[in-house]
Amino acid sequence: MIFNSIRARLQIWYGLILVVILAGFGITAYELERGHLLGRINSELERRANFLANSLHPNRGPGRGPEGDDAPLDRPPPGDFPEDGPPENRLGGPPRLHLAPQAAGLFDASDPNNFYFLMFSHDGRIVQRSTNAPAEALSPADQAVHQPPQEARRPVENRPVHPRNFAIKGDRVEFKLEMPLGGAFVVGCSLAPELLALRIVAVKLTVAGGVILLLGLGGGWWLASRAIRPIEDISATASKISAGDLAQRINLADTESELGRLATVLNSTFARLEAAFAQQQQFTSDAAHELRTPVTVILTQTQLSLSRERSPAEYRQTLETCQRTAQRMRRLIESLLALARLDAGQETMKRLKFDLATVIRDCADLVQPLAADREVTVLLEAPPLECTGDSERIAQVLTNLLTNAIHYNRPHGDVRVTTELQNGSAVITVRDTGLGIAAEDLPRVFERFYRSDKSRTSGGHGLGLSICQAIITAHGGTMEVASEAGVGTTFTVRLPVG
Amino acid sequence: MRLLIVEDEPDLLASMAQALREEGYAVDTAAEGEDGLFKAESVDYDAIILDVMLPQMDGWTVLKNLRRAKKTPVLMLTARDQSRDRVKGLDTGADDYVVKPFDLPELFARLRALIRRSANRTTNQLEIGRVVIDTAARTVTLDTKPVEITAREYALLEYLALHRGEVVTRATLYEHLFGDDDDTLSNLLDVHVSNLRKKLGHEFISTRRGHGYCIE
Repeated sequence: MIFNSIRARLQIWYGLILVVILAGFGITAYELERGHLLGRINSELERRANFLANSLHPNRGPGRGPEGDDAPLDRPPPGDFPEDGPPENRLGGPPRLHLAPQAAGLFDASDPNNFYFLMFSHDGRIVQRSTNAPAEALSPADQAVHQPPQEARRPVENRPVHPRNFAIKGDRVEFKLEMPLGGAFVVGCSLAPELLALRIVAVKLTVAGGVILLLGLGGGWWLASRAIRPIEDISATASKISAGDLAQRINLADTESELGRLATVLNSTFARLEAAFAQQQQFTSDAAHELRTPVTVILTQTQLSLSRERSPAEYRQTLETCQRTAQRMRRLIESLLALARLDAGQETMKRLKFDLATVIRDCADLVQPLAADREVTVLLEAPPLECTGDSERIAQVLTNLLTNAIHYNRPHGDVRVTTELQNGSAVITVRDTGLGIAAEDLPRVFERFYRSDKSRTSGGHGLGLSICQAIITAHGGTMEVASEAGVGTTFTVRLPVG
Repeated sequence: MRLLIVEDEPDLLASMAQALREEGYAVDTAAEGEDGLFKAESVDYDAIILDVMLPQMDGWTVLKNLRRAKKTPVLMLTARDQSRDRVKGLDTGADDYVVKPFDLPELFARLRALIRRSANRTTNQLEIGRVVIDTAARTVTLDTKPVEITAREYALLEYLALHRGEVVTRATLYEHLFGDDDDTLSNLLDVHVSNLRKKLGHEFISTRRGHGYCIE
């Protein structure tokens, strides 16, 4: 599913957020523009309404109001309606409004906004209107004139009363100016030019928003692709590795970013995997190789023996060879299994207290016949030292080291075993006076199947020291080797006492 | 036919040597590369069986040094059967390859093929007049009737037949028929030649006095 891809999901979220932001921005801009346009129209209407209100008594005579008014236009004094019999002091009597020519010019169809006005009497009748007032504006229901709030406020003058009433009716807007003494002006105009302008604005905003959205989505896709590309590199490399090509590495130029660091970690993991895998392969190949030779011996011996009648002595010799070879294979298989168990951590080491000196003495006794045979002296300098661990396993290690030291010694040489306590560790050294190990072989002596003499005549299979090291490591200790050609070799085992 | 086996596993060396001796070959042995190289350079063996994994000087080095001086057919023994090892062996100058563990009959067959190829022959049948020698079955027939023949007599006959028309000196025959371990009496060769003449006709092997023997 494409929607399962991170890139697609990022893109969807990105698109949604962009749409919301653009819509908010567009609506705000539209509303601001609309408010601005309407505000302009409204103030224009208000201006015109006030103008009308102020022109209510255009033929005002010299009679002055009691206050001696100096602002006649907005103060129609009582009894200033000459056409009216009894001065009612009210708007809504017989039409007496005379619009000044410039006022009439404000209300004709020549203006694109088509300003019109209606004048209502206090009982809702239309007293006067401009010729261009639309028919539907004339309906009384539409133009219910509220009685001015005379109780609340009793002005003595017919000044416009606020609040002003703006109303939008279809494509028209009207402003109603109520007069304090009843009656009202309604000034309206068509909104067509404003609505058209607003539609244009809306279209422009929509187009601009769409373009920005497309650009944003494209940019988002590009960004998401860029961000995802290292992941795709990692994924491709990991696929190749899982297909068996362990030599593959992730090749990211940028190693500082989060993904770069991930790639670095993965690469080092892959490298360790590859090394471990190669080691395992080498081990398996070596193990197979070590088993091939004894199998060949048994095969040739038996095939030779069976090719014709043999004397009992010959059969006996064949059987002895086969037995010897099979025992060699058994030792090898046991060592392989021991290593495999140690590797897998299945071999649990006991944690018991024991005296190291006793163990060393026992081991020395065990190898004494071999030492006597090779004319090698085993010297012990092992004071009692309490250790914790698996004494049988430690004895196995020591026996192996002693056997090696005797085996690779010169005639009449000696093997010196010392123990001492250093920084909470028992330090055991096994020193021989043999030929030593060549410097180039020294780092490899603990490698599996590694034999410095490379021959089978020594009888070893090259696993002994590997097993020793695995046992000591399982005890939390370390094992080192130092050697000097012609002087001898020293193995040092450090074992935590606690 | 005289062979050299270079192999460091003593039991394997002993059983291969015995098996090949019973097949009628004269067999020399070496347990180390250097010893093997020395013998291979000083004696004209008909074939050498060389183990790859040897102490001190390994099989590759022995082969490389030997190829500077001699073209003796070499059969490599190896415990590794990866193709790059085989390629390396054949490129270094080995003539054939046997992977451990092997069956003795297969080893024998490969040796025979190796020796046959080095004598520029393509079949196991050698026809000389009324006598037919089958080098695979190691049998001899005279007028299609089988002839009883000892291994040593067969080896002598085969060597002379393979060098038909040539005069083979007594020294060469000694070298190819008897290994280092054989107690060679000076008149043993005459006894074998005499026996072969009795079985296959007096004129079959002619004597070039002062030079050696020859099958015309």
